[in-house]
Amino acid sequence: MRGVFASFAVAIAFAWTSATAQSPQLLNFAPEQLKTGADIYARNCSPCHGARMLDPQGAFDLRKFPRDQHERFVNSVTRGKNQMPPWGDLLKPEEIEALWAYVLAGEKG
Amino acid sequence: MKFITAASAVLFFAGTTATAQTLDDLKNDGKNADNILTYGMGYHQQRYSPLKQVDRSTVKRLVPVWNLSLNNEWGEQSQPIVYNGVMYVTNARATVAIDIASGKQIWKQTLDWPPETPRVVCCGVSNKGAAIYNGKVYRTTLDAHVVAYDAKTGKEVWKSKAAEWKDGFSLTVAPLIANGVLITGISGAEFGVRGFIDGWDPETGKQLWRHYTIPARGEKGNETWPQDNNAWQIGGGSAWITGSYDPDLDLMYWGIGNPAPWASQSRPGDNLYTSSVLAMRPKTGEVVWYYQFTPNDAYDYDACWELILAELKVQGQPRKVAMQLNRNGFLYVLDRTNGALISAKAYGKVNWASHVDMKTGRPVETDIAKSIREARATEHWPSTRGAKNWEHAAFNPQTGLLYANTLHEGRMYKHLETKPHVVGQRYMYIENLPLPRGAGEPVGHIEAIDPLTAEKKWRVPLTDFQMWSAMLATGGGLLFTGKETGEFIALDADTGKQLWQFQTGSGINAMPVTYTHQGRQYVTVLSGIGGLYWNIAREQLKDTVPQGGSVWTFALMPN
Repeated sequence: MRGVFASFAVAIAFAWTSATAQSPQLLNFAPEQLKTGADIYARNCSPCHGARMLDPQGAFDLRKFPRDQHERFVNSVTRGKNQMPPWGDLLKPEEIEALWAYVLAGEKG
Repeated sequence: MKFITAASAVLFFAGTTATAQTLDDLKNDGKNADNILTYGMGYHQQRYSPLKQVDRSTVKRLVPVWNLSLNNEWGEQSQPIVYNGVMYVTNARATVAIDIASGKQIWKQTLDWPPETPRVVCCGVSNKGAAIYNGKVYRTTLDAHVVAYDAKTGKEVWKSKAAEWKDGFSLTVAPLIANGVLITGISGAEFGVRGFIDGWDPETGKQLWRHYTIPARGEKGNETWPQDNNAWQIGGGSAWITGSYDPDLDLMYWGIGNPAPWASQSRPGDNLYTSSVLAMRPKTGEVVWYYQFTPNDAYDYDACWELILAELKVQGQPRKVAMQLNRNGFLYVLDRTNGALISAKAYGKVNWASHVDMKTGRPVETDIAKSIREARATEHWPSTRGAKNWEHAAFNPQTGLLYANTLHEGRMYKHLETKPHVVGQRYMYIENLPLPRGAGEPVGHIEAIDPLTAEKKWRVPLTDFQMWSAMLATGGGLLFTGKETGEFIALDADTGKQLWQFQTGSGINAMPVTYTHQGRQYVTVLSGIGGLYWNIAREQLKDTVPQGGSVWTFALMPN
């Protein structure tokens, strides 16, 4: 468990630094974290934001989410935004971080 | 003695008031053009009015006479109810009573559901409308309650909880009053609920019966679900469009939704009574007959749509029929006395089945269906959204034709590996990606369709946006419907030629109605973009079609 949190911390820190520099090399998230994010996304997010983020159904196109706005992402998911309902009571903070990791890492195709 | 007379007078008056808007009124809806008392403009849901002040020649003088803001950005889909000069309109946020003569708001009751509720709403936060009976107005709420208001004051009379929204249930359906019972369905098949239809006491809100759309273990029909897992308990089968009703047969007809999850590998079997129609007794919820349109539905071919009741001549014989432009691409005509299949013809592009076997009543699946069931990404027609979605068709008994806004859309569809159901969360497991569109290929049609042959008398292709507004047919030879881009339009029912249009303030995805007040014909429609198509086409529409609900009412400008 500690290990997971440690890799979170590293990954997020790395994401922050890299994101601000617009580096393409920000994808060093733990594979388990990406899988968690992808699973949560597929179940709960894909109906509106599109399968594998490919076909947003009117909701925000997450492929265009500003990669330096981690706080905005967490706030939007936790409290809801516009017509997106809040998810803070359902998803744990680490699950929202996993979603962020998945959104940052993107899909391969 | 004097006192007794006065008391009798009071009693008499109370009696009239109490019975005002009675079961007979409901049964005869459509005969008194001043009122619209039922969903579908008559228990038969034909959405036809014989009114003809507004006709092909006078429609050019049709002008707005009032507009009322609904102060709502979630979208307007409801059908107004009209009784004694008052209109009742609902959306997800409120119920409003409006004076028809002036357009002024008489009362408004707002609803306050938890902000998380839209998580369990698959396809747009909305409400389809109210029911009226015995001095009360009834509606359902997004967080799965049923409410009764005093029709005069708007005061809440009772509120009953149908289900727990956190478990995936929601309600958008307009209630049905049949044989003195208030009847509601349920939404939530995308969240793995086990669907049901409820009967309520309209006076007290007490639940009289509940009929689950998926039979329990030991009940007939459960054998069509796996016996070694709990798929039947999380198998969907919602009921989110109001049933039609034949008071002579005392049967109501509810279309039942898709099974869950959409990916079908965990639920081999026909999965009764999903994607079916149930003919039920309103007093008890007893099912008298059923017909399943799409056994083991692997495509979200939800059959909730309107079942339009009419009398058709079939091989020279008059038959009492129920008709449905099913999402699966076939137009079904059933004998509504016993559920016998009379006709099932494709009315749009269909590649998952070649035809419906008239002996077994079952669709004959193609290699496309096989490919989908084997979890391969497959070009699929019609897409899960159907050859027609919920936007209700109209039937004109004079012409014998159905009029509908249909969809022309395939998608690249794929079943994914299913995972265990989590209560209150999505339970679909599919990918559904757009296909490239051929040059000039329409996205849908406005069309006039023969119910028995599915042949088109005329067909107007839509090349920009689909239309997700219900159709209204009139004795003036007109059709009224609305566009997502806000135009409220009138068409010549003989040709499909557009004769008139008015630009409303937002997109239209609702149900137009027509009625009279003090001898003058009115036409009303709600404007306010929302619902599933707004989700689908928002990117293309958001810069030109603003949100915001309002009621528009039109009448002829005096000569």
